[in-house]
Amino acid sequence: MSVNEMIKQFISSELIPEGSEVPLTDTDHLIDSGIIDSFGIMSLLGFLEEKFSVQISGDDLIPENFESIATISALILEKNGYQLEV
Amino acid sequence: MDFRLTEEQVSLRESIIRFARSELSHDIRSFETNGSFPWDAWRKCAEMQIMALPFPERYGGCGADFLSTVHAMQALGYACRDAGLVHAIGTQILCGLQILLFGGEEIKDKYLPLICRGEKVFAQAITEPASGSDALSMATRAERQGESYVINGSKIFISNGPIADAVIVFAVTNSEKKALGGISCCIVEKGTPGFKQCKPFEKMGLTTLLNGELVFENCMIPLERMLGKEGQGGIIFSESMEWERTLLPAAHIGTMERVCETSVKYVKERSAFGKSIGSYQSVANKIADMKMNIELGKLIVWKAAMLKGQGKRASLESSVCKLFVSESLKKACLDAVQVHGGYGYMTEYEIERDLRDSIASTIYSGTTEMQQNIISRLMGL
Ligand SMILES: Cc1cc2nc3c(=O)[nH]c(=O)nc-3n(C[C@H](O)[C@H](O)[C@H](O)COP(=O)(O)OP(=O)(O)OC[C@H]3O[C@@H](n4cnc5c(N)ncnc54)[C@H](O)[C@@H]3O)c2cc1C
Repeated sequence: MSVNEMIKQFISSELIPEGSEVPLTDTDHLIDSGIIDSFGIMSLLGFLEEKFSVQISGDDLIPENFESIATISALILEKNGYQLEV
Repeated sequence: MDFRLTEEQVSLRESIIRFARSELSHDIRSFETNGSFPWDAWRKCAEMQIMALPFPERYGGCGADFLSTVHAMQALGYACRDAGLVHAIGTQILCGLQILLFGGEEIKDKYLPLICRGEKVFAQAITEPASGSDALSMATRAERQGESYVINGSKIFISNGPIADAVIVFAVTNSEKKALGGISCCIVEKGTPGFKQCKPFEKMGLTTLLNGELVFENCMIPLERMLGKEGQGGIIFSESMEWERTLLPAAHIGTMERVCETSVKYVKERSAFGKSIGSYQSVANKIADMKMNIELGKLIVWKAAMLKGQGKRASLESSVCKLFVSESLKKACLDAVQVHGGYGYMTEYEIERDLRDSIASTIYSGTTEMQQNIISRLMGL
C-alpha cells in the first residue's frame, strides 16, 4: 500500500464520522471541509508519527502540510523518504 | 523501565523543597484579603531559576530536560502552599515553551531571557467571553494592514493577564478558513496603544493568581510579533496543550502529596471513641485513595513528560493526565477537609484553601468533559 493510500485509509475510517460516502481524492481539502479539525489533527499526527516513524514538530506543523492527502504524503516522504508498497 | 529519579532530579527536588519552605512562607491569607500578587515570592523563584529550567542556556535557561522540570514543579506544588503563585510560574514556563517551540530566532532572543529571569511576566490568551471549551471558535481578529496586524476583540480569565508585560494572543487572521488554518498567534506587549488590561476578577480560590480580561481595540502590532507562521495558531494551541496538561498536573501531584501527608499526621493524632480516627476504616480508606491516586498520577505525569521530552506526541497521555490528576486533586482536598472535621473547615488549618484552589483544576487547560471528549475521539469514537 502506498503512503497516500495508508493516509487515505486512516482519514476515511478514523476522521470521518460514519465513514466516507464519496471516496476521498488526494487533493480534497481536508481542513476547509472540516474533516481535520482541532481533534482530528491530534489523531492524525499520532497516526503519522507512529506509522511512519517520523517526528513532526515546529515549522512542519503548519496547516498547509495537512491540507490534503497529497500534501500530508509529501511531508512524510520529505521527512524520511518512506514508501511502503505491499 | 526505571521509575527512580536520577541523582540530579533528587537533588533538584530537595533543593526546591528546602527553598520553598524557607523562602515562600509568605502569609497567603493577607494576599487573599487584599487581592495582590506576591511579587517578592515571584522574584525569589526567578532567582532560584525555576522559570528558567527547561530553556537552553543560550537564552539564560538551565537546559534541564522536561521530565526534570516536571519533577521541579511537583516539588514546588508540594512545598509551596501558594497554589496561585505556582500556577503563575507554570504559566510563565508554558509561554516560554511556546516561544521556544514556535518562535523565530529574533523572538526567542528577545523574550526567552526575560522569561527565564522572571523580569517580565507572560500570559497566554485564548479564552473569550463567548468561547471557552470551543476555543477555536474565537471572535478576536488580527487583520493585516501593511506591515502590521490590527487586533480587535477581548479575552477573558487570563492567568497573569492583569500584570503581564507580554501576552501570547490567539486571534483569527483568516475568517474564510476553518479554525485550524485561520487562527494565528502573536505577542502583544503591555503599553501597546489599544491594549487594555482590566483589573483582576475576584475568585473562589487561587487568589494570588491574577486573572482578568484583556481588551484589544485597534491594537496595532508589527508583523514580526507573529509567533510561528500565519494560520499556525490552531496547531500551536493543540501542541501547547500537551505541555500544559503535563506541567500543571505535576504541581497538583505535589499538592496532593502535601495534603495527604497533613491528613495522615492529623488522623494519627486525633482521637475519637478512645482510638485514633485513622484506625477507623472509613477514614483510612480516604487516605488510601489519596495515596493510590498520587502513585497513579505520578506514573501518567512522568510518562507524558518523558514523551514530550523525547519530542514525541502525547495527546492521549496528556489528556488522561490532566483529567485524572485534576479530579484526584479535587477529591483529595475534599476528603482532607472531611477527615479534619470542623478544623478542616476553618481557615486556620489551611486545608479549606487547598480545596478552593483545587476546584479550578478541572476547568482550566480544558475542562474534565473536554478531556473525556478528546480521549474518546483519540480512541476513534
Ligand atoms: C483559574 C483559571 C485560569 C485560567 N487561565 C486561562 C488562561 O491563562 N488563558 C486562557 O485562555 N484561558 C484561561 N482560563 C479559561 C479556561 O480555559 C476556560 O474557563 C475553560 O476552557 C472553560 O471554558 P468556559 O469557561 O467558557 O466554559 P464553557 O466552555 O462554557 O463550558 C461550560 C460547561 O460546559 C461543558 N461543555 C462545553 N462544551 C462541551 C462539550 N462539547 N461536551 C461536554 N461538555 C461540554 C464544560 O465542560 C463546562 O462544564 C482560565 C480559567 C480559570 C478558571
